[in-house]
Amino acid sequence: MIKHLPIFIVLAPLLGAVFAALTSWYRPKLSFPVVLSGLFISFLSSFCLIFKLLNSESGIIHYQLGGWGDKGEYGIVGIQITVDYLNSLILTAVTIISLLTAIFSSQSVNRELAGQQRYFFALFSLLVTGLLGITITGDIFNLYVFMEIAALSSYALIAYGKGRSYMASFNYLIMGTMGACLYLLGVGFVFVKTGTLNIENLSLLIPQTLQASQAVFVGFVLIIVGAWAKMAFFPMHGWLPNAYTYAPTASGALLAPLATKVSVYAMIRIMITVYSIDYVLKSPNIQTAALLLSSISILVGSFFSLTQTNLRKIACYFIVSEIGYMVGGAWLANDPGLKGAVYHIIADAAMTSALFMVIGCILFRTGQVELKKLDGLFYKMPITFIALVITMAALIGVPPTCGFFSKFYLIQGAAQAGTWHFAGALLISSLIKAVILFRIIEIGYNKVPNPAKEGNKTIPRDEAPLSMLIPTLIVTLSLIALGIFTDTLITDFIAKALPEIPAP
Amino acid sequence: MEDIIPKFNYIVVVVLMMTGLWSMLAQGNLIKKCIGMAIFQTGIILFFISIGAKNDALIPILTEGANHTFDNPNIDKVTNPLTQILMLTAIVVGVATLGVGLALAQKVYQQHDSFDEDEILNNQTK
Repeated sequence: MIKHLPIFIVLAPLLGAVFAALTSWYRPKLSFPVVLSGLFISFLSSFCLIFKLLNSESGIIHYQLGGWGDKGEYGIVGIQITVDYLNSLILTAVTIISLLTAIFSSQSVNRELAGQQRYFFALFSLLVTGLLGITITGDIFNLYVFMEIAALSSYALIAYGKGRSYMASFNYLIMGTMGACLYLLGVGFVFVKTGTLNIENLSLLIPQTLQASQAVFVGFVLIIVGAWAKMAFFPMHGWLPNAYTYAPTASGALLAPLATKVSVYAMIRIMITVYSIDYVLKSPNIQTAALLLSSISILVGSFFSLTQTNLRKIACYFIVSEIGYMVGGAWLANDPGLKGAVYHIIADAAMTSALFMVIGCILFRTGQVELKKLDGLFYKMPITFIALVITMAALIGVPPTCGFFSKFYLIQGAAQAGTWHFAGALLISSLIKAVILFRIIEIGYNKVPNPAKEGNKTIPRDEAPLSMLIPTLIVTLSLIALGIFTDTLITDFIAKALPEIPAP
Repeated sequence: MEDIIPKFNYIVVVVLMMTGLWSMLAQGNLIKKCIGMAIFQTGIILFFISIGAKNDALIPILTEGANHTFDNPNIDKVTNPLTQILMLTAIVVGVATLGVGLALAQKVYQQHDSFDEDEILNNQTK
């Protein structure tokens, strides 16, 4: 049983999706508990796996699908599932956030998508399957398949939003398919030269014997560009803001924190495991371009967020700028930069999740999130408002929260690599987020005079229901907890996950 | 001519992929974008099949008359089965994506009575 733990992480939500779709014919109300239990099993398995990993000596757990295995001189045959320090962290983050989002979304789905809950939750579970699959797989073609499973279900989840969401979803589909196809083409180039698709086999072959191969290099570029299109990296970010803004609340809350971050993980996995840091450092042109693009991405995301009036769209442009942080950090290709990038995947998943959950709470009660209509929000929904302020503080990078530490590592990395434009972009984006925070405080707290002092005039308290508020608070408090336990996270997991990087 | 014939597959692949990519990115019509997507995927499928193919090679199934066994395969005389299996999966993914894309395009058409991107944008901002 314990031997088969890794496969349960992917299998549980997959079966959850299938059973949710099937049982719904018999009794539609059953689909939500079925999906929830699937996600819970997945969460438990990933949690147990972390302990198993900490106790194991090699720091890596392999699982062969269908009992195929190491065939000696033929290398590894069949699809392999690999869990190491890097992806065990991300697996846990994905399972926790998807579980909390499922609890969070039950009420809003009942209201927004009445009568369609069963299909929605089946797709929800399928999307989580795809994301977990991308994270756990040890095979680059399998990664493509899971990427498309996640992408196809997310197109449908976004299109549930009606109205403009159809067009937004269509644009995402075109961009996402292009990214996936480029990735597949890159896999083809790698396969021509190596004859294997297993990440472990590739990591033995490419850095040692195929350093100079042109085909492998083209494959590298294609895979990276494909991953960039999937994660909405500048200049391929156009689809993201509309897609996530017009999606239903629940889809937005699930997609925004997870979909793009998992693509970033896939990119980092290709960079550090399949190709090795040496390889990245030996292609300085791409490194310079990637760093420049990430700086532009950060600035574009931040400046566009300043021009928006809808809180949800602001949050979407934040994602564009946060993607720049992670890609930039990874491409700095030095120790603090990579640590910051991997840490920021976790931190940003939590921050974006908290932000979209808070927005979901406000949407649930007021029906809109236009900035200028949020006046007096503090008196109406005090807990939600405080959660929003904490989340924004984390996004800015105020010390006890996790946002500070990731930025600390990223700026340290930028300084070590001498990439000052990246450090500058990070600081400017922090400042812009601070401007937006103060705008929110101004509108939500100061614009309406304190009703307690006015005496006769009171604004009735109208918090979101507990099933939405509790997940929101858990994620918001986790931002501070992540910040406090940064040291454990970095030394026990992230430092072990990264390969040794040659000192400059 | 001798340069072109051995690489003919790859030239077709490049032409197909560029046609598809251009159609996906530069065309304003949603259905043409979907068609471009399908062409792009076909190009990639052809690429994978081409890299697995060999001259005079047969299907990778052991038959009575074959002069090789499982433990001692005559690799020159069988095509690489892995690329073909990979492409089976990729075809399924491509069909599913095309289906979702066409369904979305149909929904957009119901809303705006048009497949043209500019017209839809005008409708949305009105």
